[in-house]
Amino acid sequence: MSDLTAVLAVAGKDLRQELRSRSVTVATLFFAAITLVVLAFAVGSDQALLRSIAPGALWVALAFAGVISAAQSYAAEGEENAFEQLLLYPVPRAAIYLGKLLANWLYMAALAALMLPVTAVLFDLPISGNLPLLLLTLALGTLGFALIATFYAALTANLRARESLLPVLMFPVVVPILLAAVRATIALTQLENPALAGDWLQLLVGFDLVYLVTCIAVFRFVVDE
Amino acid sequence: MAAALSSGRDPKKGGNGLLPLAAPLAISLDRLARRYGRELVLTDVSLTVGEGRVVVLHGPNGAGKTTLLKVLATRLRPSRGRGTVFGFDLVRHAHEVRRRTAMLSVFGGSYPALTAAENLSLAARLYGSTSTSDELATCLAVVGLADSRDKLVRTFSSGMKKRLGLARLRLAGARLWLLDEPYAALDEEGKSSVDELLDDARRKRITIVLASHELERVAPFADAVLQVDHGGISLRSD
Repeated sequence: MSDLTAVLAVAGKDLRQELRSRSVTVATLFFAAITLVVLAFAVGSDQALLRSIAPGALWVALAFAGVISAAQSYAAEGEENAFEQLLLYPVPRAAIYLGKLLANWLYMAALAALMLPVTAVLFDLPISGNLPLLLLTLALGTLGFALIATFYAALTANLRARESLLPVLMFPVVVPILLAAVRATIALTQLENPALAGDWLQLLVGFDLVYLVTCIAVFRFVVDE
Repeated sequence: MAAALSSGRDPKKGGNGLLPLAAPLAISLDRLARRYGRELVLTDVSLTVGEGRVVVLHGPNGAGKTTLLKVLATRLRPSRGRGTVFGFDLVRHAHEVRRRTAMLSVFGGSYPALTAAENLSLAARLYGSTSTSDELATCLAVVGLADSRDKLVRTFSSGMKKRLGLARLRLAGARLWLLDEPYAALDEEGKSSVDELLDDARRKRITIVLASHELERVAPFADAVLQVDHGGISLRSD
């Protein structure tokens, strides 16, 4: 069996479970949408102010929703001790990590794609001008976030205080990703020269690669006892 | 009981040594220990099991039976000592050990939001099995889950989850089975299917290490019964 088969099997299993239960979908969609609505409502009708905070509001909503999503992906593993069984299969630990990462990333990217037009409407944010680059920013930003969230969710999965520990541990590490994603989104939606987003996108690619290699290398030490 | 293992404390090793009569080694443990935090759960376990043997672990709750099975399955690393399965080191060649090992744990290990067929299909892919959907259906039928193949595992009783675990075991194509309380939560029909499974595995010369409180039930299959207590093992003489 190729490792790719294992990665796809694990990711497919996670996505199928979520499509069936929709527990994470309902929680994260509701949470992200409410966050955006409350922030837009708090700012009021000042169009310039709304636009200026829109990228930050979008990524804050995605980040908090992403924590819920990552934590839940391991909660499902614990119901019948399924993660124990998953670790007994003859597949590399990295394949398990990449499978869960793929599922988390696809889910977060879909959530981001849904929240982008909501943000555009609520915050009067122009998104059509650089839409392909904006979607690339969402893809790279959510990938970086999912890399960290999937790793730390595994680290805290067996802890009693996992709900509170997960954000405490992961947010300091994920801040560079969020800052780069916010700055790239600002450049693509508000600046006259969207080429400035290129630097931030390169930084996002760099962070993603570093985190990917590090998490794959270290994951087995997190799950092996 | 057909005793296929000789036993006795090995004075040179200082552990509880068990030697195969005449078979290639499936398991070899040398002064293996495992601790959880400060608590020593396995202490200086030395054990050899020949290929195709059936060894039963018996002992009170918390004696270390499950820990020993998990160490053999490479789920837990030994804190001290070393061990091999089919010649592969439990730590350095863990992946090779996993390729030759399948474990049935007390908990189901299945995904409640997936159906029995989906769970089994996932296991087949992760074991690298080339089983067709018909073969998976046969696997489910053998353990009495033919009518439940498209039902979510969430709706299953404990016994049905255990049966699904048994079906997964059949798929693995492993040479070493590690069974933790395989009769637990099963009705008489389910227990009979475990008996058949053990009988079939024995004919195929699959090595089995089995933790069970049902000694009378497993005695006909067992080559040796090991008493596990306070993390040490010894051969039962009764």
